[in-house]
Amino acid sequence: MTEETRKTFHENLDSVRDQIIQLAASATEAGARATQALLDSDLVAAQEIIDADDRLDAASVEIEENCQLLLALQQPMAIDLRRILAAIWITAELERIGDLACNICKGTRRVFGTEFSPRVRGLIAEMSDEALRLTRLGVDAYVDEDEGLAAALNDIDDRLDTLHAAFVQVLLEQRGEGGLDLQPAVQLALVARYYERIGDHAVNIGERVRYLVTGWKQEHAGAAREHERQRRRLSEDPA
Amino acid sequence: MTDAADTSTVEPTAAAAPAESGAAGPAAAGTATAGTAAALTEPSVTAEHEVVASAAAAAAVEPPPAADPDRHIVFSTRDLNVYYGQFRAVRDVTFDVCQHEITALIGPSGCGKTTVLRCYNRMNDLIEGARVTGDIEYHGLDLYDERVDPVEVRRRIGMVFQKPNPFPKSIYDNVAYGPRVAGQRKGLDEVVENSLTKAALWDEVKDRLGDSALGLSGGQQQRLCIARAIAVDPDVLLMDEPCSALDPIATARIEDLMQEIKREYTIIIVTHNMQQAARVSDMTAFFTAEIHSENDTRTGILVECDRTKTIFSNPSDERTENYVTGRFG
Repeated sequence: MTEETRKTFHENLDSVRDQIIQLAASATEAGARATQALLDSDLVAAQEIIDADDRLDAASVEIEENCQLLLALQQPMAIDLRRILAAIWITAELERIGDLACNICKGTRRVFGTEFSPRVRGLIAEMSDEALRLTRLGVDAYVDEDEGLAAALNDIDDRLDTLHAAFVQVLLEQRGEGGLDLQPAVQLALVARYYERIGDHAVNIGERVRYLVTGWKQEHAGAAREHERQRRRLSEDPA
Repeated sequence: MTDAADTSTVEPTAAAAPAESGAAGPAAAGTATAGTAAALTEPSVTAEHEVVASAAAAAAVEPPPAADPDRHIVFSTRDLNVYYGQFRAVRDVTFDVCQHEITALIGPSGCGKTTVLRCYNRMNDLIEGARVTGDIEYHGLDLYDERVDPVEVRRRIGMVFQKPNPFPKSIYDNVAYGPRVAGQRKGLDEVVENSLTKAALWDEVKDRLGDSALGLSGGQQQRLCIARAIAVDPDVLLMDEPCSALDPIATARIEDLMQEIKREYTIIIVTHNMQQAARVSDMTAFFTAEIHSENDTRTGILVECDRTKTIFSNPSDERTENYVTGRFG
């Protein structure tokens, strides 16, 4: 009784997953290269990464179109339906991570000529590693449909938030000591924010994976609270 | 979709940088530290939020269908077993069918869904050697009590079959057949019109009621059979794959019709078409078959019965998940 009856459809689902793995690899690679361009003040590399974002956009459009076709043509049910919905959402998160890599490259242009202190360089490298590690963990959770790992991403992200806060602190200290002009300080604070955002998108991927596995979304908790408030308001004031 | 706006807000202020005093740095740093500390110690939820959150968490768990006080049970089936001679076709089936709901019975071939359906109007009585054990209560009454008249059962609980089976009579006589057998002589025109209207066939046949029913299309014949079934004012309609012989348009009309008439009737439908079960039903019972390798026979069992939206979006049982996603057949 274990004969597969929708082999082609399930192969199509597998290939969507493979496309997402590819997209994730491209997005994390763009992030790592963007960091290198920033640390090397390499404007040529930065521009190459910005130009290459079109490939990420094309890949994400292709994945979304494939998902759309599977929804329209295959009437997916239960976990297959959730797999497709999660794929669409995760694709959007990865595409956004690619955009943030581009933003880091634009930041590279704007801080061009600024000497980074060893502490700043070290923290940039650490934030980058942490943000991309989170992304890879999110994708691992997706590939393995590992709800435990997916749920842990939010906690793991705390480290990136701490790094982000420490980095801003260092910028403020260096400003105070007169070692950093305002423009590059603001730009570097924004760059740090981009890494922090990458981490948030990785956490979102984890939430999508939890939905895929269990059907539960983080937002369900808030929606349930809102329903409860509405119910209370109605019972207090039936008119 | 890159973010082009990320710098527009900061570039103008950069010009003001030299004018800023050196003291701004440490002061701002102090604020940032205070902000971080505040974020760590600040309670994350207010008292109201916590009360609402715990109430919401309790309410968010949708109660099982059986706990819904608004549902009126039409058929309560407990430990139903059906035997054909020595062979047990269905084992230990327990679930409820509620009023004004469409309950779909789904599952692979040989899982006993049609056998179970036929228990509800005692059609199995007509098969030699068939034996039913367990309880089926119909509105609280034992359907298999010896004092119960099977003919009356079949009047209240009508059946629509897989293949349209109109009598070789006129359209009118097909619909009027049941009421006539029941002794009704007056008001037949009204019954015929009402039944054909409910079955969404009236407009198509009102000018040729005297024509043979066999001249209708397959979809029209099936709707005629539904009209014939509802002409005797039943309580329940049993439908055994009512659309499997119909084209998609005729199928869509029958499905639409089911939604219309469920306000007046309770419907149980056996279907091989999972998408159809998902589209039309409120509740879905998933059956599967146990295979006895020693004599290559199958016994049907009920895996689970739940809200259709649950069965097709996030079923509890892995066997259901595997079936609705086509991972076994």
